[in-house]
Amino acid sequence: MPAVENPVSPEPADALASVAALRRLADQIEDAAVEQAMRAGWSWPQVAEALGVTRQAVHKKHAKRLIAAGVTLRRR
Amino acid sequence: MSGFDRYLHTIIEQGSAEAHQDGSATIEAQHLLLAIAAQPEPTLESAGLDHRTIRDALEREFEHSLAAAGVSRATFDLPRPTRNPQPPTQLGASAKLALERLARSHRKKDLRPGHLLLGILQAQAGTVPRALALAGVDRADLTARVLRTLPDAGE
Repeated sequence: MPAVENPVSPEPADALASVAALRRLADQIEDAAVEQAMRAGWSWPQVAEALGVTRQAVHKKHAKRLIAAGVTLRRR
Repeated sequence: MSGFDRYLHTIIEQGSAEAHQDGSATIEAQHLLLAIAAQPEPTLESAGLDHRTIRDALEREFEHSLAAAGVSRATFDLPRPTRNPQPPTQLGASAKLALERLARSHRKKDLRPGHLLLGILQAQAGTVPRALALAGVDRADLTARVLRTLPDAGE
C-alpha cells in the first residue's frame, strides 16, 4: 500500500486534524516526560535544553504542577 | 444576570472541569459540548448523544487523527502526568469561535441555552464536527433539531 510510505493523509481535513492531534499528544508527552525527568533529578536548564526551549518557558509551563505533585525541584 | 448568562457561566465552569480532566490548558469547544451533555439535554439525547457517547467519540477522533499521521498513542508508554492544581480559566480558539457565532447572529436578550449548543454545532471544521461524524451523527439534522427548539426558528 502506498499509504505506508506517506502516512500523512492527502485529505487536507485529515492532515490538518492530525496536526491538532499531534500537538495535543506532544503536550501530553511533554507533561509526562518533564515530570519524569524532574523526579529523576534533572534540573530546569537541562530539561529546557533537551526540549529546545528557554528555561523560563519550561518553568512557566510546569513549575506549579510539579510543586503540587510534590516533586523536589533542582534549581541548577 | 440573565437566565442565559447564568447558563453560560455554569457551562463554562463545568467545561473548565472537563478541560482539567482532559489535561488541556484551555477550555475548548469539545469541553463546552461535554458540559452541555452533562446535564439532561433532550435534543442531544434524541440524536443518541450523551456525555459518555460524546467522550467516546472525542477519543476516537483523537486516535483517528493521529493515525492520519501514522502515529499511535499506544507507542508512548509514559507514566500519567500529575494534573495542574488549578483548572484552566482561559477559553481556547474553538470555544471563542463558538461564542462569537452566537454573539454575531442573535441579540443578547434573545439568547437561549440552545443557542450555545448551536454555536458549537455550527463549526465546519475541527475536533467537534470530526468527532460527531465519526460517531455517525448527521450534524445538519442535529442542528435543525436544535433550531426547532428555539423560539426564533422561523427567522
